[in-house]
Amino acid sequence: MKKSDKLLLAVFLVLIPVTLFIGGKLPGKGYYITGIAVITELCAPFFASFEKSKPQARELAVLAVMCALAVAGRIVIPIPHFKAVFALIMLTGISFGANAGFIVGAAAAFLSNFFYGQGAYMPWQMMAYGAGGMIAGFAFCNFKFPKKPWIMAVFGFFATVFWIGPLLDCSHMFLAMPEISLASLAASLASGFPVNISQGVCTAITMLVFGKPLIEKLDRIKLKYGISEAENGL
Amino acid sequence: MSERSIDNSMKQDAFSKYHPAVNLLFFAGAVCLGALFRHPAYLIAAMCSSLLYFFALNGLKALKTILVLLPTLIFITLINPLLNTRGNTVLFLIFKRPYTLEALIYGAVVACIFFITVIWVNCFGKLFTADRIICLFGNILPNLCLLLAASGRILPKLIENSKQIATARSSIGKGGEKEAIKDKLALRFKILSALTSVSLENSIVTGDSMKARGFAAGKRTSFKPYRMTYCDWLAAGIMTAMLAAVFGVLLGGFAYAEYFPGFGIAEMNGRNIAGVLIYSGYLLIPSALQIKEKIRWSISRYGI
Amino acid sequence: MEHFKIRDLSFSYSGNSEKKNLDKINLTINKGEFVIICGRTGSGKTTLLRHFKTALTPYGKRSGEVLFNGVELEKVGAGEQAAKIGYVMQNPDEQIVTDKVWHELAFGLESLGCEQKSMRSRVAEMACYFGIQDWFHKSTAELSGGQKQLLNLAGVMVMQPEALILDEPTAQLDPIAASDFLNTVRKINAELGITVVITEHRLEDIIPYCDRALVMENGKIIIDESPKGLGKLLQEKKSPMLYAMPAPMRIFCEADGRGECPLTVRQGRDWLGSELGDNPQIKELTEPEFNKEVKAPALSLKELWFRYEKDSPDILRGVSLNVPQGSISAIVGGNAAGKTTTLKAVCGICKPYRGKIKIFGKALNRYKYGELFNKCVSMLPQDPKSIFVKKSVREELYEMTNDSEKINETASLCGITELFERHPFDLSGGELQKAALAKILLSEPKLLLLDEPTKGMDAVFKKSFARILKKLKERGVTILIVSHDIEFLAEFADRISMFFDGGILTTDTPQGFFGQNSFYTTAASRMSRDIFKNAVTAENVAELYLKNKGNTYEKVR
Repeated sequence: MKKSDKLLLAVFLVLIPVTLFIGGKLPGKGYYITGIAVITELCAPFFASFEKSKPQARELAVLAVMCALAVAGRIVIPIPHFKAVFALIMLTGISFGANAGFIVGAAAAFLSNFFYGQGAYMPWQMMAYGAGGMIAGFAFCNFKFPKKPWIMAVFGFFATVFWIGPLLDCSHMFLAMPEISLASLAASLASGFPVNISQGVCTAITMLVFGKPLIEKLDRIKLKYGISEAENGL
Repeated sequence: MSERSIDNSMKQDAFSKYHPAVNLLFFAGAVCLGALFRHPAYLIAAMCSSLLYFFALNGLKALKTILVLLPTLIFITLINPLLNTRGNTVLFLIFKRPYTLEALIYGAVVACIFFITVIWVNCFGKLFTADRIICLFGNILPNLCLLLAASGRILPKLIENSKQIATARSSIGKGGEKEAIKDKLALRFKILSALTSVSLENSIVTGDSMKARGFAAGKRTSFKPYRMTYCDWLAAGIMTAMLAAVFGVLLGGFAYAEYFPGFGIAEMNGRNIAGVLIYSGYLLIPSALQIKEKIRWSISRYGI
Repeated sequence: MEHFKIRDLSFSYSGNSEKKNLDKINLTINKGEFVIICGRTGSGKTTLLRHFKTALTPYGKRSGEVLFNGVELEKVGAGEQAAKIGYVMQNPDEQIVTDKVWHELAFGLESLGCEQKSMRSRVAEMACYFGIQDWFHKSTAELSGGQKQLLNLAGVMVMQPEALILDEPTAQLDPIAASDFLNTVRKINAELGITVVITEHRLEDIIPYCDRALVMENGKIIIDESPKGLGKLLQEKKSPMLYAMPAPMRIFCEADGRGECPLTVRQGRDWLGSELGDNPQIKELTEPEFNKEVKAPALSLKELWFRYEKDSPDILRGVSLNVPQGSISAIVGGNAAGKTTTLKAVCGICKPYRGKIKIFGKALNRYKYGELFNKCVSMLPQDPKSIFVKKSVREELYEMTNDSEKINETASLCGITELFERHPFDLSGGELQKAALAKILLSEPKLLLLDEPTKGMDAVFKKSFARILKKLKERGVTILIVSHDIEFLAEFADRISMFFDGGILTTDTPQGFFGQNSFYTTAASRMSRDIFKNAVTAENVAELYLKNKGNTYEKVR
């Protein structure tokens, strides 16, 4: 078994149950703290494998650009309520794989919190954005979904509405709801649903219009500078 | 949302001069304890001290943030009884469900906790720039921290570039000023597309510059512009001791507070009075440091 | 002692193996030497420099070898290479990796796994040497271009290299920052004995101080000579690179001077004085008349006032200017003085809160939307990349119009017909500028605004660019240039205006303008001002010299 797999198993089988057990004993809104702890543990394997993967300089530079683009999307497209961030993160995942997608997503969430002002939701945002990049990477790299604009658009819509959106919304339950329960979860999810739909549409539009060009651009860069193959040839 | 540069020009703050690890310890402690206490005395202590520091950092602008938060707080308070029907004192029935006083009060408690968390996190954001975090985790997660630092570098450049491209489009008459939302969106996508091309192209130079300076040539270390001084160790020690004491009171169950079915709140005995005092003392550290520094400065300046 | 030795190095980028980008290069560079490599864009300078460091060597077919301190370069470890061979590239902005100055300084040491204590002292040392301590905690985004490039140099120097490789480090800088940077490089070479290999377009600041100058053409080194002998050799070979040389050297060569070739303005003046004496017979050329009154100006600005934010200081404080129709006019002045803002105001991108703009006699605000940019005004922005949004030059041009005849005609005017299928970002700086010019010309502007068009262009490219501008002028296009490049303007502009302190201070012909200035003027003018009157370009001085010697002057190229 690979070392990274062992780490993953350790996290899921030991660390998270232990955290949940201890967290359950905490008084008050201990679940907010527990939630943050579990998220940190969930992110840890991804971060660790990113460190292990020893990314090349150019790859790291390209990922940094994608991350900055995702954060800056809001300013580049200054149309109210239009968010291209999920689409950009997913496209990174599609182009560079699930792990890079997660890293860029999490980093984008982190950075935008520092850039636009801090929020108590940051850990959930890091997890949700990262998960968005990851799932897109899985779907299009591991399961070989065809990278056609409309497929990416439909995928983007559903991934936003039923995956990233809910992950974000459940932060309301941890932060603003009096207790962890099905009722409060339902309330959190329901309150976020309309927003998710609108963001899903934005994601779909972005994928439709910008998905193919962006992937072409990334491919061009990969080809021109041999990001994945070149270094081995040296 | 107001856009803020990564290194916010912050007012002179005494606490931020301490090592980032000390800052982080404080905020971790404050947020944790803030979320765990439900006892009114502790809640009030946390509310007051967090607000004090918030005002010290932001001046009167803080008022605006608080006003914006107010509706959410009221909403949280009022919604709780709808979700939670436990409690003895029924005020009235709504949707054929009881709306109880206990649930309402508990809603207020939750709102309080929410408020405290948000305020502490806000202060944290004001004090912590991305590079301080990077400095803290640089040794454990070198690649990720470098990614963040590099993105932080590119971000302002991207925004500048996007303005440049928009201007360039306008200067050849393709700025699309008076057009419908659809065309505006199309234009913006064009800008985004051009921006992506330019930035990706530039990223190759960045990559080369990294390689030329030995990136991936061996194990990375991380430069720390901050040093743990005697003061930092002292502060960290005092904080840890205080945290231990407060956690002792909390986990020992001395500061219990039950709201259901009826109110069962620990009375303010010696332990709890001490607890509240230490807790407030802990939370007031940053504000106290700031006041202390102000006084010291005026003494040395004017020789009062 | 031999520091670098290159033996029979040939290289071609994969794809076009026919054309060799480097052709049998043999070169030895000694420890502590200061070597300049000059050559036109595409002559293989950058490709050669990139072979000085394995991490940057391009992919392609290669033969021959590079030795560093007698060891084959590939066998020198990545860490050792990173530390010992410092490399600084052209773009100050893109080389900076991190968001803080301190982090950027430390980046190289971090990569090498340097320990905290020695890292601290080395960073501190470098910050002091380069005078960075005042902005040590700043964000890199806040720095000026010159500071950024200095930071890049410092970030390399902190690893204590033995050799510095600099690839056109000042191409993107304004003249003052560029000469600061080059002086620092000189200081490093002189004080620390570090080997410097540099490619540069701005030669006047460094040629006098270098040990050797190499000239490259088509992947070959055609000249390897000390700077004193360089001029004559270039002239013998009829190399266009002569045009890129410092004015004293050019004048000396074009005037067919005898004795030792002058390199600096002082040497040039001494040479001229010793040849002609203080009071030659012919002191000035007939100079074109300057008409202060402009009838029916193409563009007239009257008392423009503008600021970006409500509370920010005024950028334009009463700018008044008349640009005559069919002229090439220029605005010069310091950095961030408001020159670009003036151009933006003409395009209606910045709206002055006071003052009047008239374009071809019609007030700017009376132009309807779209009317202004259709066959009337067009602006080439400072960064030509920013007007490109498509995948190929062809698509870029078709974005403006569908008339393929017009496109072909414009493309041949600008000399970019061969670039149609290329991606805009694969073009060199000069090609990019020409393609951008072609794109904006497709809207058939009668008034063309150019913002720093010669930035990053080599001397030969500048000449061909000027030819395009002259052709446009013949067609009656009015051109307004904003630039730092006074040597270029002295030769090709009709009128020059000085922008200072938020307004236009003076306007005159280049002869009048540069002839009167004693600091802000061309090297030729500084060199000849005691002897000739109003001779502002190298050609002017050479012509006067020859006339005094009784020879006729024929333009060499």
